[in-house]
Amino acid sequence: MRDLAFIGFIAALLALGLKRPFLFVLLYLYIDTVSPQRLSYYLINSIPISLIVAVLAMGSWLLIERKDGFAFSARQGLILALLAYAGVTTLNADFPVDAMEKWDWAWKALVFAVFLPFTLRTRLRIEAVLLFLTLSAAAIIIVGGIKTMLAGGGYGVLNLMVDNNSGLYESSTISTVAIGLIPLIVWLARFGTVFPPDWRVKTFAAGLIFACLLIPIGTEARTGLVCIAVLGLLTLRDMKRRILYLGAAAMLALAAIPFLPASFTARMDTIQNVQGDQSAGTRLAVWAWTWDYAQRHPFGGGFGAYRSNHIQVQIVSAQSSGEVQTVTAQTEADEARAYHSSYFEMLGEQGFPGLALFLLINGIALARLEIVRRRYRRLAGDEAWIAPLATALQHFHLIYMVGSLFVGIAYQPFIWLVVGTEIGFDHWLKRKERKARGAERSFVPAPA
Amino acid sequence: MIDNFALGLTHGLMLLAAWRLLARADLEDDDAPATPRRGWFAAGDAQGDA
Repeated sequence: MRDLAFIGFIAALLALGLKRPFLFVLLYLYIDTVSPQRLSYYLINSIPISLIVAVLAMGSWLLIERKDGFAFSARQGLILALLAYAGVTTLNADFPVDAMEKWDWAWKALVFAVFLPFTLRTRLRIEAVLLFLTLSAAAIIIVGGIKTMLAGGGYGVLNLMVDNNSGLYESSTISTVAIGLIPLIVWLARFGTVFPPDWRVKTFAAGLIFACLLIPIGTEARTGLVCIAVLGLLTLRDMKRRILYLGAAAMLALAAIPFLPASFTARMDTIQNVQGDQSAGTRLAVWAWTWDYAQRHPFGGGFGAYRSNHIQVQIVSAQSSGEVQTVTAQTEADEARAYHSSYFEMLGEQGFPGLALFLLINGIALARLEIVRRRYRRLAGDEAWIAPLATALQHFHLIYMVGSLFVGIAYQPFIWLVVGTEIGFDHWLKRKERKARGAERSFVPAPA
Repeated sequence: MIDNFALGLTHGLMLLAAWRLLARADLEDDDAPATPRRGWFAAGDAQGDA
């Protein structure tokens, strides 16, 4: 039954795409985010649906779409360089089979991030892409939110519809993305034109934001809590009544504590106690190992290079009964632990060149958005949406970069789609500025 | 039950969004007027691809 619904949905969008080929791009974003082939039992499993839609999206752009104002930016060049470099490291990987497996999906994420900006010719297209990305992620977030509300949750326990823990369905990844999406949801509810702001849109947005906040609680991913704190700080930047906001946020956080599941508060407490926590200890050990590995392999070991690590973690726990405190130290050995950080993932797999490209791409994105934020700050009317969108995208990006400290999501396709949208937004603004300059020049009276 | 509710709601909204985009001339050209909404589905009269 669910299979039929998915097929109906995809068929409907394909049919509408015949009239507006841009809808193929939106359909691709949806398939890349929700992976309906993983939610269905057999029907769509047997067709390479993602490939078909990617070919339709790129083919229709090449053959049918207008290409006036075509632009290719430095960031797209850097993404292509990262793609080529990742390809080379895949060919020389420590673990060729595993590397190939990751390359198989990672290259698509990068290629689409380069392609997406070409299609974002109008303001409405930028909005439509953000709307589809948000609603696609919302399919997972709403499920997680409702289940958390009804049944609590637990690390690796919350059932997000699929069994395998990958893509956006992975706890820490969905926590980071859900919190990062909040500023974009607020923007869509304020400036959306597909669904113009009214009470229905505002109710949905409020409910979705609540669900987003519940995701880190349901998944008990500590990264999510850190992301919420970052979001709280970032919101302060544009706040007029900061003291009132801080007070309200503190009250709300305090009021929420009794409602949090006990297992959640117990897990979050471990943030303070790194020594006695195996997960945190392992992370630090893996990072140290990766740094060491990068000294010996400065050009990276290819995807999955972490598989060669052997680490030892010392866990110190103190128990007190009465006045006697017993401290026990235990050494645990572990191997082939994942990076648990995008930066170390890049460093281990693509070495210093990969890390440099990754930081450059993200750094330029943040800087460009900051410039737009400031330049368009005072505009009203038709252009009032520009600065808030730059702010929302920048906040998403910053939350992603902080979450990335603790989760290995350097190649997460959803993030690269947002990166592509940011580049497209930038191109759109440059076109608009060029057009405005051209119009000004044509109004200059000719010298007599 | 919860899964189907969330999937139904989000997919329904995406379908409605796609339907509304069909009628918007400003999907192709920023200078084209955003078609005024008419009724629930906001499709308006045939806009054509212009």
